Amino acid sequence: MSSAVTQTGAGADGAQRTLLRTKVEAAASTYQEVAGWEEVAAHAASLGQRVAIAPSLHAALPSLAAMLEGHGRTVVVPGEDDPAADVADVPVAIVAGAMAVAETGSVLVSEHELRDRVVTMLCQRLLQVVAADDVVDRLEDAAAWLAPRGGQAGFASLMTGPSRTADIERSLTIGVQGPDEVDVLVLTGADAAAEESTS
Amino acid sequence: MSELRSFDERYATALADPDVRGGLTAFQRGWRDSRDAAIADLEAQEGRSFDELRAELAAIKDGVLADWEHHLDSFTDNATAAGAEVVRVATPGEANALITARMQAAGADLMVKGKSMVSEEIGLNGHLEAAGIPPVETDLGEWILQLAAETPSHLVMPAIHKRKEVIAELFERVLKRPFPPDDIDRMVKVARTELRERFLASSVGLSGANALIAEGGSIMLVCNEGNNRMSVALPKLHVVTAGIEKLIPTYADAMKQVRLLGRSATGQPITVYTNFLTGPRPGQEQLIILLDNGRTAMAEDPDVAAALRCIRCGACADVCPPYGVVGGHAFGHVYTGAIGLVNTSFHHGIEAAAGPQSLCVSCGACATVCPVDIPLPVQILEVRENVARAGEAGNAGRVTRLALRAFQHPRLVDLGMRAVGVATTPVRRGGVTALPSALTARGPLAERIGWRTPPAVPPRPARDTLRRGRLEEPPRLADQPLAGRKVQLFLQCVSDRMAPDIPIAAAKLLRAAGAQVTVPRDQHCCGLPAYDSGEQDTAKSMVRQTMEALADGADVVTPASSCLAMLGHDAPYLLRDDLAEVERAQELAGRTYDLISYLTSGPGRLPAGSLDDGDRTPVTVHRFCQASNTLGRTDAIEAFLRDVAGVPVVPLPEASECCGFGGSTSVRNPELSAGILDRKLGCVDQTASSVLITDNPGCILHLRGGVHASGREVEVLHLAEYLVRRLPGATASPQER
Repeated sequence: MSSAVTQTGAGADGAQRTLLRTKVEAAASTYQEVAGWEEVAAHAASLGQRVAIAPSLHAALPSLAAMLEGHGRTVVVPGEDDPAADVADVPVAIVAGAMAVAETGSVLVSEHELRDRVVTMLCQRLLQVVAADDVVDRLEDAAAWLAPRGGQAGFASLMTGPSRTADIERSLTIGVQGPDEVDVLVLTGADAAAEESTS
Repeated sequence: MSELRSFDERYATALADPDVRGGLTAFQRGWRDSRDAAIADLEAQEGRSFDELRAELAAIKDGVLADWEHHLDSFTDNATAAGAEVVRVATPGEANALITARMQAAGADLMVKGKSMVSEEIGLNGHLEAAGIPPVETDLGEWILQLAAETPSHLVMPAIHKRKEVIAELFERVLKRPFPPDDIDRMVKVARTELRERFLASSVGLSGANALIAEGGSIMLVCNEGNNRMSVALPKLHVVTAGIEKLIPTYADAMKQVRLLGRSATGQPITVYTNFLTGPRPGQEQLIILLDNGRTAMAEDPDVAAALRCIRCGACADVCPPYGVVGGHAFGHVYTGAIGLVNTSFHHGIEAAAGPQSLCVSCGACATVCPVDIPLPVQILEVRENVARAGEAGNAGRVTRLALRAFQHPRLVDLGMRAVGVATTPVRRGGVTALPSALTARGPLAERIGWRTPPAVPPRPARDTLRRGRLEEPPRLADQPLAGRKVQLFLQCVSDRMAPDIPIAAAKLLRAAGAQVTVPRDQHCCGLPAYDSGEQDTAKSMVRQTMEALADGADVVTPASSCLAMLGHDAPYLLRDDLAEVERAQELAGRTYDLISYLTSGPGRLPAGSLDDGDRTPVTVHRFCQASNTLGRTDAIEAFLRDVAGVPVVPLPEASECCGFGGSTSVRNPELSAGILDRKLGCVDQTASSVLITDNPGCILHLRGGVHASGREVEVLHLAEYLVRRLPGATASPQER
């Protein structure tokens, strides 16, 4: 685990994030609060040599690639031609979430284009990064995000934990077609405001 | 889809496979624990009860039905604006032809499929195979079944009927390498490697839809494995097959569905992926096929319209005792579980519904867990009536019909039962009929009758003993809550004729509490057996006869809770076409009690300790399923025994589960009934109790027969029989003959 774990904040936001942590962990993901993207990069770098960045995140935050390269990691940003091949079996990937829902421990990820989707589908370990200001209480808050986008082409997923199945004798097995491991990282520092513009 | 085998064949296959029952019992128990915990969490989180939450979702779904065209148009407009092509089709044939043509036009040679029950409903796989475009199932359970050339046996857990050993063998045979049966993780991982190249190679992907969100034209698609996300993202053409009942007005409404869907399906607060797709991704086409196939007809039939609320969670199968014995290949057609018994006749015809519906024991468990509050037990009986009317119930149905019609005549029944009582005197042993062991131990009849010793038929019914002045005056209790109160005892046809000790004990108990007990002469049968058998006209005439017999406005008390379920709950519904009759039925319902409700919440409330004779031998209690599931009774008998009789009660695991009697089911499908009984007696064994108390005579005769045939040392008693022993000065075993 990254060394960048900080204490959950105080007050109403603190209670909300405490619930989020509980629910994220109940879904078999890990939860941590980080001051900024540099800590996200450090965590990702600790997990694998090749790190994929979702193209939409890369466009909004090009400096993230440089941070990872600063750790000596190879950055993969899937292209238009054969995005699935680009990220096939990449050990670690980073995606930005539009919000995190405390009620369920879900992260809402908007990924209309195929090259964004292959990142969250094909990587082995997925880092979902959400700004602290984008932590919301209820599923209805996600509905309120979706409603104004109705009637326009789009794809958004509430992601809650690593992929799993219980199809054989109801025995829970983690890691089927999606990631085996998921880390939810909540940005609490000044970077969080910058991240706002990416979602 | 390959044509499903006949029902009889599927039923026989399921019974012959020991894995089915063993696996499903474990599955149902595990599901129950997870689901109950998840729902309790939800109630705490929302500060509202499950009943309130499901009523809210049911109202949302009903609102869609009330204005279906508007919501369909709204969905279509929004999805079209987002770039999808939306096509409404009436029949499976149209849907299959459309999909096949579109795939051929695109030059597609492979389809990757996410889980879609509608694709099963229309038999898509068979059509694609015939067209030379093989589909590949990508949900793990569905993929296993495709390798095994089988169909799903559960809406959510399609391969739950298969043990891991069987799946390991299947993988070894198909994939030509060894699979240790205990390494489930390895079996799961092989699906990833085997399927990933198919995902990448396929130009067409298919999915179902968990909801069609009208306000935005979005498809809500939930999954845990992530396979659905791949099959909708990677191919150039994404085909959606969905029933038009999946419409829901808004995203906020969809979230209410999410809260109940995952918890009801697998006990999860939410599935791993809850995807909202609006139109195709860039570079992709999206074809949304909205299927009717009998749904409009369902909407127009008030008896079954509520079944269109269904969100396909599978909970109705997960609590269903017959499903636990035979699984979904027999208990259902394409759609399994209780909902399958209802919607099959609309999607696949009454012939397809006839066999599976005969397995329902009418225990009512499905209705207690349905997250959209569909009155499934009532709807199944409507289907059963349609099956009977259409002559699809076969020879067994004809025999049942004739027997029930004869049973309408009290004089005939009286003479017949007395004659049987006299004729069977040589083989009557205590409460059972001793059949020759040559019949029950082996041979063709052994499996059908050997598991349950039949009850004895005494030569004189209870009504003779209870005739005025014949019954000796019982000792009086110190407290007389019923002093001066007139009580009409409704004997119940079964106990009157086959277990007279039960109504006699009830009469004594009521008199001990001060009541003036009368036994109305013209009483016969409440009509439940006929209603349960789909013979609603016969049932109505028997209800009317009973209303007539009990017209005197005094309280009616019956030792049979099943009669209370009929008179207190079902009768007003059964007579719903005539308002005056409904009022009469409601009037009777308002003054009818079963013994326990009369003694606890009714006028006969007995004070604590009043039946405490100092005996502390522990007992256990089977909760009559309909009393729990339909009448909403919880621990009334246990609490009464503890507080009023001072007896320690050992909790019975799965106390409210059906014992397997199920009225006509135990006669028509004895193997099924025996399987459910076995599960029940296994639970009784766990309590190590030597006394089993319950309060429905049908259950009692069934349980006694099972206990006797299996050689167990358990005394099965009606609550009244147990309590009269504790009256002051009572002898240990009251035999009034």
